[in-house]
Amino acid sequence: MQVLVGKRAFLTALFVFLFVIPWIANEYHTFVANLILLYVILSLGLNLLIGFAGQLALANAAMYGIGAYGTGLLMKHFGLPFWISAPGGVAIAVISGTLLALPALRLSGIYLALATLAFAQFTFWLMTHWTPVTFGAGGFIPPPIDFSPLPITQETGIYYLSWGAALVLYVFAKHAMESPIGRAFVAIRDGEVAAQALGIDLLKYKSLAFALSGFYAGVAGALYSGMLGFVGPESFDLLQMVLHKAAVVLGGMGSVIGSLIGGVLLTVLVELTKEFKFSIEVAFGGLLIVFVLFQPNGVIVFVRRLLPGWNERLHYVPPGKETEEDFGAVPETDPEAPAEPDDPAEVPATQPRGGGPV
Amino acid sequence: MTEAALRVRGVSIAFGGVSALDTVDVDFPPGEITGIIGPNGAGKTTLLNVICGMNPPDAGNVFLEERTITGLKPNRIAELGLRRTFQSSQLFAGMTVLENMMAGLHLMSSTGLVGAVLRSKRMRAEEEEMRERALTALDFVGFRHFANRAGDALSFGQQRIIEIARTLIHEPKVVLLDEPAVGLSVNRVAELDELLRRIRDERGVTLVMIEHVIRLVMGVSDRVVVLNSGRKIAEGLPETVRADPAVAEAYLGHQAES
Amino acid sequence: MEYLSYLVATGISTGALYALVALGIVVIYKATQVVNFAHGEMFMLGGFFAYTFHVMLDWPYLPSFALAVALAFGVGIAVDRVAFRPLMQRQTLVSVLLVMIGLSFVLKGVARWLWGGKGDYLTFPPLISPEPLSFAGIMVMSQQLVVLGAACAVMVAFALFFKLTRAGRFMQATADNPKAAKLVGLRTDRVYMYTFGVGSAVAAAAAVLMAPLTLLYPDIGFMLFIKAFAAAVLGGLTSIPGAVVGGFLIGIIEQLAAGYLHTAMQEVAAFIVIMIVMIFIPTGLFGLGRMRKV
Repeated sequence: MQVLVGKRAFLTALFVFLFVIPWIANEYHTFVANLILLYVILSLGLNLLIGFAGQLALANAAMYGIGAYGTGLLMKHFGLPFWISAPGGVAIAVISGTLLALPALRLSGIYLALATLAFAQFTFWLMTHWTPVTFGAGGFIPPPIDFSPLPITQETGIYYLSWGAALVLYVFAKHAMESPIGRAFVAIRDGEVAAQALGIDLLKYKSLAFALSGFYAGVAGALYSGMLGFVGPESFDLLQMVLHKAAVVLGGMGSVIGSLIGGVLLTVLVELTKEFKFSIEVAFGGLLIVFVLFQPNGVIVFVRRLLPGWNERLHYVPPGKETEEDFGAVPETDPEAPAEPDDPAEVPATQPRGGGPV
Repeated sequence: MTEAALRVRGVSIAFGGVSALDTVDVDFPPGEITGIIGPNGAGKTTLLNVICGMNPPDAGNVFLEERTITGLKPNRIAELGLRRTFQSSQLFAGMTVLENMMAGLHLMSSTGLVGAVLRSKRMRAEEEEMRERALTALDFVGFRHFANRAGDALSFGQQRIIEIARTLIHEPKVVLLDEPAVGLSVNRVAELDELLRRIRDERGVTLVMIEHVIRLVMGVSDRVVVLNSGRKIAEGLPETVRADPAVAEAYLGHQAES
Repeated sequence: MEYLSYLVATGISTGALYALVALGIVVIYKATQVVNFAHGEMFMLGGFFAYTFHVMLDWPYLPSFALAVALAFGVGIAVDRVAFRPLMQRQTLVSVLLVMIGLSFVLKGVARWLWGGKGDYLTFPPLISPEPLSFAGIMVMSQQLVVLGAACAVMVAFALFFKLTRAGRFMQATADNPKAAKLVGLRTDRVYMYTFGVGSAVAAAAAVLMAPLTLLYPDIGFMLFIKAFAAAVLGGLTSIPGAVVGGFLIGIIEQLAAGYLHTAMQEVAAFIVIMIVMIFIPTGLFGLGRMRKV
């Protein structure tokens, strides 16, 4: 099939479209577009952690909340301007995120998931019950943000900040994952012991993965507090956690551009279903199930199938599935390579081999 | 006798009260292939795990070129020039063969997060150099044409060979191979034999190999060490070891090995 | 002193509930090496099933109870079919967990749709008369004693089941070495399936017994899951007596935290216990020291 829509052209069109939205769309649509930008950031950050580094942590919504609360509370309690509070809130999110890497060094899989879930619930409890600091379950309204001398409203200002952040953080994630850092992440995901035997420092790269996802969630949270003009605990509950997971899985685990697409699709779907809480739960829980079961590599797989130019270098590939096709793998130098005579006696790699353990 | 490339001194380790290695001393001479054999449960893999830092020993020391590496983390030991393979294939399934090889050059990279994100000139030059070296290393085993294949899209035997190539890519001093011939057909074992000799002769790497395929070990090894129940019971030239009654005893006591 | 014994007594009775739910988590984990993230939803559904039959349709207590437990058994098997079986073949733990998280939300959403939205707390009558009893000056709800008794009975039943019955030894063998179990001809798939069913049935039974005290609402499942998980992890995650002791300990710790520190601490004590245990004593109190595998 002829490539009509290149990746670069698509990205340019998407970001140009998002750039002009405040001029052409009404207030509600602009708000939704802003949410899209935040979910793109959230889904990128979470994908770095679970899709690339393979660390199944369930505290992303908490990091998001910490970014929002940190920013809002620094403004509210200390009268600091947004320009100082926001980096402060992000810094707190990064620090908490990095601390979560500590259990990740000792725990993996289900243990890590539940330890981070307990942390997330603890954070949520603090937001709800530590009233003197967090204003409790009712939330609070942070002071307005001054964009002077620019002649723009808070809404427009936050919108373009989010736009810039999403663009920069997209490029940031893409470049980082196409570097030795990305290879170290994927190596840890696919084989921690082998990664370490190649000299990859688990402490360093796991901490980096957690710090990065904390950073992304923190940035999204800081922007969220400014966008909504209100911060309350219910925005950062378990449902939010599932939405972030759904965005990553929907777009494609281990695909940077997949996260971009996932963030956009998820926000649109949430806006379509948000009338009823039960339907959100069913819709996104169901989405998670369907995609993990039937297309764990997300919608990006369909895109790649249609548009070969969309291949990326590092992908999430579940063992024994879709490898060849996904990589668009064509032998580089030797077209006859597949004819390589494999001895039938050889044990296929995916099956358990014989031979006694020592 | 020349200085050993790798020296194991009085290493003991127990798991849950059961001794797996009991005061083991072995010297691995530089530029030679040392085969480690022994019946199941003799402690062969445990010895490799101790050397590479996965299981710190309860007692004893490991020296890499006279420098003690006991208790260091595996990634630190790798940094000092020791690499290993595992019994099962450990190619990273989510990367291409080329990327797997480049991951083996991880320590060569000096790019930090900032350099990576900004795609600095130095970073791009480094990546280019790594790619070249990775392709050269694939050439060494004749697998350049697999560069863009997914790691797990190859046969088990091909994966094992690529893994060996990956251990060589960053100019290691010592490489530990855990049953490289497992699951290989007779023809492939012959190819492996030749590859191991080439690694020794052309690269000058010190090889330590656990192997059950006695024909391979006895044919390719310069020296053979025999473990039984966590103790070293014999070592020396392959012929000497083969003739040693204690070795026959150890194997007969455990029935025939594969 | 009297205050302390009151707190401990209350802690023991809520602890019995946690122990019952934790038992299901442990039994499933023992057989499958997976923590059923949707286990709390089994409890929640069990309670709502019984509510539907007994309160809405006005059926007698015992048939309602039995049918609710049977239905939960079926839902447990469905969890195995949807989340566990198709994914375990691909051996991706992350996927299993993600699907279970999804499932728990789907079930919660369905319950919210069928039995009311947030804020609706449904009442459910107890098995025996709610006349409070008094022991050494401490008031105890009779329903609490029922739950306590049930927890002990279920624990003993599980212990005997694993030790004495063929099916129990199958489960044990499958847990210890799934590949070997398969090689000697055990139908591991079937063992996994029944394990999910039995675990869910126990959770449902706990729900019917406990509903008079806890009330029923769609979010109860997750709340209980995390507390029961704290109990299970405190007990080592693989030990049946450990789950029971862990359950009582969590119940008591919660009450003490609420009584002596701050009432809001009751909610959060379990999270803190999980974090502390996982970071500092990952094998728990009764664990087998099964550490991270290579």
